[in-house]
Amino acid sequence: MKPEDALAAARAAAAQRDDTPPTGMSIQPTERVSIEQLMEWANIEPDPDLMRSTRRLGAPITWAKRQLVHVMRQYLRELQSQQTRFNLNVLIRVAELEDRVARLEERVEGERAAKP
Amino acid sequence: MNVHQILSGAGPYDAVTTQALMFRDLFKGWGWGGRDVAAEIDPRIGDRIAPLRSLDARDGDILLVHYSAYAPKLRAVLDLPQRKLLISHNITPARWFWDHDPQAGVVCALGRKQLPQFAAAADVAAGVSLYNAREFGSDTVIPILFDPSGLGAPRAQDRAGWSASPTILFVGRLAPHKRQDAVIRAFELYRRRHAPGARLVLVGAPINWAYDAAMRELAEATSPGNVTIESGLTREQLAARWRSADAFLCLSEHEGFCIPLLEAFHFGVPVIARAIGGVPEVAGDAALLLEDADDESVAAELLALVAADGELRAALRERGAARVAAYAPRRTAQTLRAAIESLPAADLRTGA
Repeated sequence: MKPEDALAAARAAAAQRDDTPPTGMSIQPTERVSIEQLMEWANIEPDPDLMRSTRRLGAPITWAKRQLVHVMRQYLRELQSQQTRFNLNVLIRVAELEDRVARLEERVEGERAAKP
Repeated sequence: MNVHQILSGAGPYDAVTTQALMFRDLFKGWGWGGRDVAAEIDPRIGDRIAPLRSLDARDGDILLVHYSAYAPKLRAVLDLPQRKLLISHNITPARWFWDHDPQAGVVCALGRKQLPQFAAAADVAAGVSLYNAREFGSDTVIPILFDPSGLGAPRAQDRAGWSASPTILFVGRLAPHKRQDAVIRAFELYRRRHAPGARLVLVGAPINWAYDAAMRELAEATSPGNVTIESGLTREQLAARWRSADAFLCLSEHEGFCIPLLEAFHFGVPVIARAIGGVPEVAGDAALLLEDADDESVAAELLALVAADGELRAALRERGAARVAAYAPRRTAQTLRAAIESLPAADLRTGA
């Protein structure tokens, strides 16, 4: 078979199959982030389990890193809460502005339609 | 002539750093001077790359900026009076990273936003592929310098036929846009339908630990015991993976160039890939290219066709060798040199 004919042959063979494709995680791009998703992201909450060393025999380094986070917890909580406060307030403003723009657009459309 | 190379970051396993060091060897061979600097340097790189602050460019020198990520520290370079050649190494769209590595998402989003500024400030702006160059309105291409000699010799000839346990290989960073999840599913369909003893080998450094764990979990749930995920391989180990591979399956959704295509062609490994980004340009007619509408089931059937058809494999092998010749190091070196020499002379540019 020539390489040019392979795709059509593969498509025909695939069309004959009725087996169930494997399921599980399927990666998709995040095309447009919704306000709800942004709200979730704005509330920053890093997973402490992600704090680890990827080096070979890195267990003691992982332990030391986690101890450091533990020792710094007061400061980190304060940092986290200040950042989250800022993020959420900005988002609320954005959501309000979106609503306001939508209302104004509706009003303009209504006024245009009402004009003879 | 002095050509100074400027990188946003330099590290021992970084592709752009490797490229810059290969360019430096070429420059030395041409009798050119200059030094290579970076804004961020991994200490393991030694003194081959100097800190950005040590850049000491004189009148008439040329600045070659390798652009591969958001680089606020490089902005000052745009204001320097020297002639500039920018090579964009392609930046992945941020939409692939928001869910899995937000920091990478930010760097990609800002990097893509900043790229037109850098391109506008350069005398010549080039991409590593035409697809890449057109992203910022250029048609100048300086391909990746691909030198297969470090990988060793390819297999002498095609295997007489696929064994009962063929090895499917994918080489590329373990990252969302590379779609290793789709590769795993396509492989499992192929294995179930045609080759119960087949193995899948995924080679590439993960973007982070969590993504690595998620991919391993998916592999184990989808095709228990049949998928190997590896990273940090030496060149010799990578070459060994290529020599033992029966096919290269790439379902990536974004590629600026895709060096593994050329590696596969060098080793005579049949390539099945999604026709995305710079892939059709680099692969030419030497790969079996899937279109957007083709799902993993079609990819699985292409694997089966390649396995069953020696004539098809021979044709792909022959065409692949032609693609390696098209990207021969000497040709790419000539293209690079022509781009540098095409920069307007310093006195003409300043109007002196």
